[in-house]
Amino acid sequence: MARLWFRVDLAVFVVLLILVAIAAGLVGSLTGLGGGVIVIPLLVILFGASIPIAIGTGFVTILATSSATGAAYVRDRLSDLRIGMFLEIATVPGALIGATATVFLTHANLQSALLIALGVVLLAIIPGSLARRHIELPPPLPSDARAQRLGLKGEYHDAALDQDISYNAARTSPALGVMFGAGLVSGMFGIGGGVFKVLALERFLNLPMKIATATSNFMIGVTAAAGAGVMLAAGYVNPVVAAPVAVGTAFGAYLGSRVLPGLQNRTVRLLFLPVIAALAIEVILRGFGLP
Amino acid sequence: MSSPDPPAASAPPSVGPLPPEAYVRMTLVLRVGLGLSLAILIGGLAAYILVHPGATSESVLSTNPILGYLSFPGLGSGLASGAVEAFLTLGLVVLVATPIVRVLSGFYYFRRAGERAMTMITLVVLVMLLVGLLVIGPLVR
Repeated sequence: MARLWFRVDLAVFVVLLILVAIAAGLVGSLTGLGGGVIVIPLLVILFGASIPIAIGTGFVTILATSSATGAAYVRDRLSDLRIGMFLEIATVPGALIGATATVFLTHANLQSALLIALGVVLLAIIPGSLARRHIELPPPLPSDARAQRLGLKGEYHDAALDQDISYNAARTSPALGVMFGAGLVSGMFGIGGGVFKVLALERFLNLPMKIATATSNFMIGVTAAAGAGVMLAAGYVNPVVAAPVAVGTAFGAYLGSRVLPGLQNRTVRLLFLPVIAALAIEVILRGFGLP
Repeated sequence: MSSPDPPAASAPPSVGPLPPEAYVRMTLVLRVGLGLSLAILIGGLAAYILVHPGATSESVLSTNPILGYLSFPGLGSGLASGAVEAFLTLGLVVLVATPIVRVLSGFYYFRRAGERAMTMITLVVLVMLLVGLLVIGPLVR
C-alpha cells in the first residue's frame, strides 16, 4: 500500500481522478452499486492511497451519486420517502459504528485486515447483484402491524407496464436488521451498500424493484452522510482527492440517469461484475502483502 | 402486487401521503446542495493547484491539508483569511450537510402533518447524524 504505482503532477492527478470518477458515477448509477466500489480500490491500487483516505473518498462518491440521481427519483415519486426515512433509523447507527470501527482499526495499524475485509465485501456483492436480474412485481403480502401504523405503502405509475401499481411494506423487523448490517458495511468501507439495501427493500419489505432501487438510492446518501461525518471530522476525507472525485461522479451519475436510460442494466452489470471481482482480488492480495 | 387490497382501513387517519410540496422541496435541497458544494470544491481545487505548483499525487496523498480547519473556530478564521484549504473544507461540509438537510425537511413535513411516530423517527435520525459529525468524529480523531 505504501508503494506508489503512479506518481504524477497534481493537475494530471486531478484529471485522472475526474475521468475515473466519471466512469464510476456512470456505471454506478446504471447498476445501482454506487461508484465507491470502483474508486476505492483504484485509489489504493493505482495511486497508493491509504485505506482510510480511500474509504473517506468513497463516501464522497456516494453523496455525489445519491444527490445527482436522487433529485430525479424524488421528483418522479419513485423514492418512497416514508419507507426510506423509517429504515434510516437502522442504517444510520450501523454506519456510525462502522465508520468508528474503521478509524479504530486504522489507529491500531490494522489496515491490512481492512483491505482483506474490503475485498471480501466486494466479492460478496457479486452474487447478490447477479440475483437482481429479474424485474417482475413481487406477489402481494399483508402489511405487518408496524407498517400499517406508519402508513408504509404507496402507489406509482409503471411506465414499462403502463399501469398504476399499489404496494405495501411487509416484514419490517427483519428488514430493519438487514438495514443495520447494510449501514455497518457502508460505514466501514465507504460503499453505498445498495445491494444489501435493495435486498431488504425487495425481499423483506416486498416492494417492487423500481421502488426498491429508487428508495435505496435515496437512502444511501443519508447513510453515507453518517459515515462521512465521522470520517470528515476524524480527518480522513482529503478534499484535494475528494473534490475531483465528487465532480466526476456527479457528472457520470447524471449521464447515467439522463443520457443512457435505454441501456440494458443487465448488460452493464455483466460487464461490470468481472471488473469488481478483479479489483477485489487485487485488494485482497495487497492486504496479504503480495504485489 | 398490482392493486391488492391496501391496508388503508387499518391505518390511522393522520397517516397519508406527503404533500407534493415536500417532494418539490427535497428535490430543490438536493440540487442546490450538490451544486453549491461542487462550485465551492471546483473553485477551491483550482486555487489549490495554482498555489501549490510543485504538488504531486504522492505529496497530496501523504497529508490532509484541511486538518487545521475541522473545528468551527478553525474553519471560521480560515474562511475569513481566505485560506484555500478552508474553502475546500466548506465544500465538503456542504456536501455532507445536503442529505442531513433533506432529513430535516422530512422532519418538518411529518411534524406539520401531525404524524408523531414518523416525526420521532426522523428526529432520532437527525440527532444521530449530528452526533456522528460533531461528537464521534472529533472524539476518535
